[in-house]
Amino acid sequence: MANTSTLARGGGNPPASGRPPTRSRRRAKASGMPEWVIPYVLLIPGLLVIAGLLLYPTIQMVIMSFQKVGLRQIRGVPAESVGTENYTQIFESEIFWSSLRNTVTFAVVTVALTLILGTAVGTLLNRLSKKMSTFVVVGIMAAWAVPPVAQGVIWRWLFDADAGIINWVLNLLPDWFSELLFGRSDWTGEPWLNDAFTIYLVLIVCVVWASFPFIAVSVLAGLKGIPAELYEAARVDGSGAWRTFRKITLPLLRPVFAVLTILSIIWNFKVFSQLYVLMGGPNNREAFNLSMFSFAEAFRSPPKMGSGAAIAVVLTLLLLVVTAFYVRQIVKTEEM
Amino acid sequence: MEGVFDQVRPGMGTGRHPKRDPDAKPGRENPKVKFTKIAVVTATTAALALGLAACGSSEPATETAPKADASAGGKKFEGKTLTLWRLGESNPAAQKYTDALVAAFEQQTGAKTKVEWIPWPQVNDKFTAAAAGGAGPDVTEIGNDQVPLWRSQDALHPITPVFGEGDQAQIPKNLLSLETDGGEIYASPWGMGTRAVLYRKDWFDELKIETPKTWDDVVAAAKKIQAEKGKDVDGFAFNGGSDANHLLGAFAWSEGGEYALKEGDKWVGKLTDPAFKAGFDTYTKIVTEGLSSKSRLGQNSADIRTRFANGKVGMYLTAGWDIATIKEESSGKVAEDQMAFFPLPSKSGGATPAFFGGNDIAVWNDAKDKDLATEFVKFATTKEWAGRYASEGGLLPIYPEQLEKLKEDPAQAPFAEAFANAKALPADSNWTEAGETKAVLQNAARSVIEGKATADEALAKANTELEEILNQQ
Repeated sequence: MANTSTLARGGGNPPASGRPPTRSRRRAKASGMPEWVIPYVLLIPGLLVIAGLLLYPTIQMVIMSFQKVGLRQIRGVPAESVGTENYTQIFESEIFWSSLRNTVTFAVVTVALTLILGTAVGTLLNRLSKKMSTFVVVGIMAAWAVPPVAQGVIWRWLFDADAGIINWVLNLLPDWFSELLFGRSDWTGEPWLNDAFTIYLVLIVCVVWASFPFIAVSVLAGLKGIPAELYEAARVDGSGAWRTFRKITLPLLRPVFAVLTILSIIWNFKVFSQLYVLMGGPNNREAFNLSMFSFAEAFRSPPKMGSGAAIAVVLTLLLLVVTAFYVRQIVKTEEM
Repeated sequence: MEGVFDQVRPGMGTGRHPKRDPDAKPGRENPKVKFTKIAVVTATTAALALGLAACGSSEPATETAPKADASAGGKKFEGKTLTLWRLGESNPAAQKYTDALVAAFEQQTGAKTKVEWIPWPQVNDKFTAAAAGGAGPDVTEIGNDQVPLWRSQDALHPITPVFGEGDQAQIPKNLLSLETDGGEIYASPWGMGTRAVLYRKDWFDELKIETPKTWDDVVAAAKKIQAEKGKDVDGFAFNGGSDANHLLGAFAWSEGGEYALKEGDKWVGKLTDPAFKAGFDTYTKIVTEGLSSKSRLGQNSADIRTRFANGKVGMYLTAGWDIATIKEESSGKVAEDQMAFFPLPSKSGGATPAFFGGNDIAVWNDAKDKDLATEFVKFATTKEWAGRYASEGGLLPIYPEQLEKLKEDPAQAPFAEAFANAKALPADSNWTEAGETKAVLQNAARSVIEGKATADEALAKANTELEEILNQQ
């Protein structure tokens, strides 16, 4: 992190600024272009791809969110602008607010759980012998490699009301124990995937299960980079495990955590496939999240791409604000 | 060569000069096809749809005379192909009928027909994709209540002249109400469907249950079945999926309720009327009284059918064609003589007014050759082929003389009886959104069943939403 920022700041400076000699020697390339142009030229192919695949659709989406776009418009009738009607419509809709609540709550809980579980497993992996560590990594990465739809299918079956293994196991628990823990002992036919609350319970389990391995492995990679001397010194000074983790591991891994948190936020804000499978399509409106709501508006018949796009714009803005806020926090703490 | 061009034509790329370079070298064909594919993928959907529309309208005009009397001319569509979308599952009976129809059509006109089967619950999504992306059928089967929606999306081509002469002139005009808009007719009725209760006859015999005469009899029968056949069996399956209103409607109508009525040019919701609420209560009680499991609130009739085929359902409301599909799907486990129908009884006895459904056949607006497609519709709805469609598919015929004959058949009598006082859902192009996409009443029922709202609260909310949806432009 620190490296990249100095590079960016020093990139365009003339050699006289007293930078390390390695960099001033590299300047003498005979490409015929002024030096400051080169980075931009190198950026062009990437920018073109991004503009074509991301920027254009995004702009299109924003434009559509101010229009009435149905099947007739897709089939050639010019789309009319409706001003901010799509936005007022979705802001008035109850489903929007419940979707927003679901999206945010789900993201907060899942990001936290994924990071905690991932870090715990990563630290454990660091302690394990090489063989055991490889074994566990291969095992958990298998979960990470499962495609989202298959993840949904797996957990849908596990939590099935009649044939699911979860209800079966809960029924196997001794009655007094189950009573003590959940206040009930009969779990036969318990419908997990009816109610928004239990759907999200299953969804959280499903998403955490599939995404913590990535965190664990990334944390493990970070841990490998921390010099063993630091831990030795801590041990000599009589620091306990928790204290060592807080005072050494956590601060040194901050850049890793920063990236992982942002990635997790982005992934969990727009989870779609797993929810779609668990709900069996966009049927239960109380359990919609913003992506599902956007999809249902835009693509179920009759398609209302305008309001679908408006929801997507709101989701995008929300994500941008959250990410921007978080990045600012990181930059701030780094400067301190 | 000709065949290749026929297949390439739907895409835009080569469509520009299909005739100008007929002796292009074989080696050059592949890149062209590839280019077409790439073009289709990358072009924006809007441009594609525009282009297709242009293709479609310019082609047939030059090649065929727009005449509909194929009987004399014989094979005037020789070498052409068209795509037919059949809806539902391709059970043997339906497959056999379709094969025969397609073969007879080819013999008369020389045109080949490619048949694709679309399951009912997916129909609206498939139509949406077809209308947006252009890869649709030439002729499609369509639910009669779906016609106003797809007509309003410009997806259907008018076929008014078909009804001016021949057999089709004898189709009763009241069967064309959903299909007519602004003086043009956009689809032809093919067979009339109504709903009745399909039940496990062998279980009824075994447990000595009499055919129910009132709704209370149905409840008692369902409980008895569950007591004997296991708790995971639904005595009477609750339908809360895309076609839930066939079941809810029957209960509500039997109490004298209505969904909405048109007053002036506005729809006024009637969900809060005591009559509708009484029917809604009967509907939600299917689950709250335990006749059907709480874990399957979102199942539609296709999901229920699958469970029925696996011996997990005692009774459910459906259409006649399900017997053939279940026989096929259960691979013999549930045989034809283990199933039978009775009309859904109301609380006070007597049959409930059933959902007035029907299957139509229509020309898709993106059809390559609309004359050929219209010709197919005309052929399929003659007395012979519409009659066979109904009798072999478990539906009621559209021609009055055939319907009269059917009332003597004991197997079809429950449907004929239900048909006598069948009722339709609100005839509006926005109905599909309220009834299926937004699932207004399904969600109301869900909140009542889960105890989150009283029936009054849920229906009041649903009523507002229903009015909002039906009255939008």
